Amino acid sequence: MPARPWAARAVLVGLMVVAGCSSHQSATTTPSVTFGSAATTPGMPGMSGMAPMPNMPAGTTAATAGPAAPVSGNAVSIDNFAFAPATLTVPAGSTVTWTNKDEEPHTVVANDGSFHSPGMGSQATFSYTFTKPGTFEYVCSIHPYMHATVVVTQ
Amino acid sequence: MSDEPHTMNRRQLIRHSAWFGAAVGLAVVGGEVISHVAGTADAARSASRPTLRFAQVSDSHIGFLGKANPNVAGSFNQAIESINNLGYTPDFVIHTGDLTHLATPGQFDQVKQMMTGLRTPHVFTVPGEHDSIDDGGQKYRSAFGAGARGDGWYSFDIAGVHVIALVNTLNLKKLGHLGVDQLDFVAKDVAALPSDTPIIVFSHIPLFAMYPDWGWGTDDAAQVLSYLRRFSSVTCLNGHVHQVFSKTEGNVTFHSGTTTAYPLPHPGDGPAPKPVTLPAGKLHDALGIREVSYTRGQSTLALKEKVLQ
Amino acid sequence: MILIRLAMAAALTVTGISHAYLYVHGYQHIPTIGTAFVVQASASFALALLIVIGGPPWLQWAAAALAGGALGAFVLSRTVGLFGFSEQGWQPSPHAAISVVAELVVVGLWAVYVIGHRRARAPQT
Repeated sequence: MPARPWAARAVLVGLMVVAGCSSHQSATTTPSVTFGSAATTPGMPGMSGMAPMPNMPAGTTAATAGPAAPVSGNAVSIDNFAFAPATLTVPAGSTVTWTNKDEEPHTVVANDGSFHSPGMGSQATFSYTFTKPGTFEYVCSIHPYMHATVVVTQ
Repeated sequence: MSDEPHTMNRRQLIRHSAWFGAAVGLAVVGGEVISHVAGTADAARSASRPTLRFAQVSDSHIGFLGKANPNVAGSFNQAIESINNLGYTPDFVIHTGDLTHLATPGQFDQVKQMMTGLRTPHVFTVPGEHDSIDDGGQKYRSAFGAGARGDGWYSFDIAGVHVIALVNTLNLKKLGHLGVDQLDFVAKDVAALPSDTPIIVFSHIPLFAMYPDWGWGTDDAAQVLSYLRRFSSVTCLNGHVHQVFSKTEGNVTFHSGTTTAYPLPHPGDGPAPKPVTLPAGKLHDALGIREVSYTRGQSTLALKEKVLQ
Repeated sequence: MILIRLAMAAALTVTGISHAYLYVHGYQHIPTIGTAFVVQASASFALALLIVIGGPPWLQWAAAALAGGALGAFVLSRTVGLFGFSEQGWQPSPHAAISVVAELVVVGLWAVYVIGHRRARAPQT
């Protein structure tokens, strides 16, 4: 225990200030980039003075609000970032049609690779005919936490 | 001495208040002094210029048409202008993904053209999941994949800092995914580096579990972070979540950046991570770019978020 | 007791210096935690000074609360994380260990003070 806390503290604070001010920075040049083992330079060069592109025209979207439509037979709706129904059971040979009711694009991609829809915009549909029985789990490849199943019976 | 009822007369109240005031006052003064010393130390260390300074921009979603932002190209242009008017030329600019909204050839063309307007020596990118719709990233790689390995990853060194650009938006099961080839690449890439080399990692999806329920995480990130455990300074910058968020875990700091297109809800704030339409005039407060600087001697990078005006 | 007050002030100063040093050397850039560090350091110095020059006993309670809070925050940062910040083991060493020991000393001295005070006031049974 210091007998004179004032003096000790003053010294320690002084040391702290000196420590803080001690290191100096001396680099002044613009750093250059070295690329590892790549044959060509990654990335693209930026340039100066190019005029910005004209703005894209604003579009209108027909947003469908409301609860997911009741499902009949072979339809799956993609609504609010979820597949409805989460499990659809159909007999083998059926064609299942997915409809994207969201504004955001979605896809339908089977975990086993058996089907892979293109990107589906708003109101777009995708159909696939299940010829063989089995359980087919699928996700949206853009938002893969969205998942559901098609169960195909004999 | 017996216990007396604990009451105070006015003199005692004044006396105690005086001590309390002194305590608060001294603490405030002390705080100012310490902050001043810290600021001076910081400034002294970066007297001429930081060792490295760059800008991060993310999630431009060129091609998006929606109420949340009817003019994403306009706001991306504003972001580019913002970067060109920082008052210095950034050593490079990194776009952390979702350059396009639907990965169409036209959208790739447009965003690439726009980015040639960035006044900086190098522009780097990593793909988002929106950039790989339909083709596993082929169109992205044609537009931006020069010099990259595998599905579009690469690394480079600048000013003594080692930068790694990762692709975690392909072959997704529920979360982001790096894959064994890419993990191999990172392991070999950092093997020979001394442990005091500062490391910066770019990816689209967060490499930490920000909100797994919405896919905001990477299933094999633990592996890649294990290769970086021995380094004293590791900073991971990502996009995807359209909001600023930071987390530090030991020697690794994660910084999610915001978008130039449209905001997404905070984790759990609603049923899904879908575009949020803000009240009129409030959109640009949610959009922005980020300045990052590194100064030799400090293990943490200094970040400055810049909102779009 | 003057000795307890001096010891407490010294321990408070030590933990304050540790936090101030770390703040100056990088922790200022960490969100929330950086601010917490400068608050801890300045409050520690303020309380240390006032305890030494003979302030009322509640200052010792405040010091114990501050030290206890710092200890709690330290434990959180090693376990579940605190405001998105976490660290491993005793990093940054040796500052973390020094600070923890100083904070334990503050809390210990406060306990001694309270027990001593209670014994002095309670009638002998």
